[in-house]
Amino acid sequence: MEAKRFKIRKNIYLTEKLYLLELEGSFNQTPIPGQFVHIKIEPFFLRRPFSIACYKDNSLKILYRIAGRATDILAQKKEDELLDVIGPLGNGFPVNEKWENVYLAGGGTGIAPLLFLTEKLANKNCNITFFYGARTSECIAFNILPYGINYIFSTDDGSYGYKGLVGDILKRYIRKNGVPDVIYSGGPYEMLKGIAEISKGYKVPAFVSLENRMACGVGICYGCVTKIKCKDEWEYKRVCKDGPVFNTEEVLWE
Amino acid sequence: MGIKTLEVKLGRISLKTPIIIASGIFSYGEINLDYLDYKKLGAITTKTITFNPRKGNPQPRIWETPSGMINCIGLQNPGIKEFINKKLYSINIPGIKTIVSISGESTDEVKRMTELLVKKGVDAIELNLSCPNVNRENIMVSQSPADTYSFVKAVRDIDGNITLIAKLSPNITDITETALAAEKGGADVLNLINTVKAVAVDIKKKRIIEGGLSGSAIKPIGLRAVFDVYKKVKIPIIGTGGITTGQDALEYILMGASAVGIGSGLFSNPYLIDKIYLSFLQFLKENNIKKISNATGLLNEKKYKGAEKRED
Repeated sequence: MEAKRFKIRKNIYLTEKLYLLELEGSFNQTPIPGQFVHIKIEPFFLRRPFSIACYKDNSLKILYRIAGRATDILAQKKEDELLDVIGPLGNGFPVNEKWENVYLAGGGTGIAPLLFLTEKLANKNCNITFFYGARTSECIAFNILPYGINYIFSTDDGSYGYKGLVGDILKRYIRKNGVPDVIYSGGPYEMLKGIAEISKGYKVPAFVSLENRMACGVGICYGCVTKIKCKDEWEYKRVCKDGPVFNTEEVLWE
Repeated sequence: MGIKTLEVKLGRISLKTPIIIASGIFSYGEINLDYLDYKKLGAITTKTITFNPRKGNPQPRIWETPSGMINCIGLQNPGIKEFINKKLYSINIPGIKTIVSISGESTDEVKRMTELLVKKGVDAIELNLSCPNVNRENIMVSQSPADTYSFVKAVRDIDGNITLIAKLSPNITDITETALAAEKGGADVLNLINTVKAVAVDIKKKRIIEGGLSGSAIKPIGLRAVFDVYKKVKIPIIGTGGITTGQDALEYILMGASAVGIGSGLFSNPYLIDKIYLSFLQFLKENNIKKISNATGLLNEKKYKGAEKRED
């Protein structure tokens, strides 16, 4: 991990409170999809964690939604302003050469680490199906989706793609088209929980990127913990350090 | 200006610099943060260890507040036995002392933990006295001078040589009473202050977050505690609470602290230690003071009988 300042190259409004922030620069250590950065947004006391959505050619991209005052201030940042960033942090998605048929399931800003993952998988001759769920058609960030991938859209109100939850659509798809080698997912907790059930039901490995409120972001404060199964039923593990990517089997879903 | 200018004595240990990582914000020092300049640290305090393992509190454990944060981690830790088995009592960074923070629900628990730690030859023990005393209707130990005295004395009775730090809660009418009780019980050093009791309201999810407030918001409270206690005690003080800049740390020194504890301010500022280090050296240079220990209490006055400024 490194603490450094990145210059803002672009900070673009995409749709419905969604923004794409592009920073100029690179880390000594190449980030893995699923890892995140911790960004200082003045005047707030704590940093804010964001999944890395893209990292290449001396540029680092973050996908974010205005969810509170800090992201509201972030959205007002202009080109050439400097941002204080710590990263890359946490563990990324495991990749296996044998996994050729890959399903990605993303909801909202949870698609960010999956976008980064598509970059990595593109070189691996994988067959990717990307399930993208959003509240409405307006919430879908169409213009940042990479080409060459089979997308299956769904919205809560049916205004675009299928009407329903990503998990339900994914289940239907599996019944019709078969079980993939692996599922990677990012999004709201309930959605990830649905993916965990699918993973269990169809015996397919699934990896999810969990989110939580964080203070340190580097594993020293134990503020962001989540229940992970162990010998004595469960223990609290740190999302920032032990995750944020977990095998759905390990997580004690609530 | 040589490095020795920042050396301080705390009880029976010497620290290379008066900059200490406070308990609970650095795990057990086992995680290497690439951007930290460890050379500028004097000591690292471990996350508080209890006798039995503790799972800790459910979420939410942290809540940002204006100029600070509330935490209610709930002392998640593996318990003293696992702590010792995993050798977490020694941070093992050359030149940096380890302070092991312990907390017990009874004097018996802190005694037993001390026995185990003394056997391992730890540098120093910090007694976290902000845990509830189960024998006393769950008030915090350091909310009672009598309890503070008996907990500190319990540790001191086990070993006369280990450096013993008593960390006190600010949630008391007059903190000098618990400070004096800790000194009388045999503490070598006081650490002022622990977090301030606070609560946050989450209207959206209709819940409250009870815990301890830290961050810039509590700096004046910590300074006041050091200001009041310094006048009355003979033992050195670690000033902790709301340090987010080099100047904050210096303020604690001038108020009477011999060393400073860095807490949640480290989360957002990876260069906080460097900033403090520089501001100490700069202050000494600008004011023609030979060593940082001579700056302790410059803006305060000793009031106890036979008091005099330390000249060590």
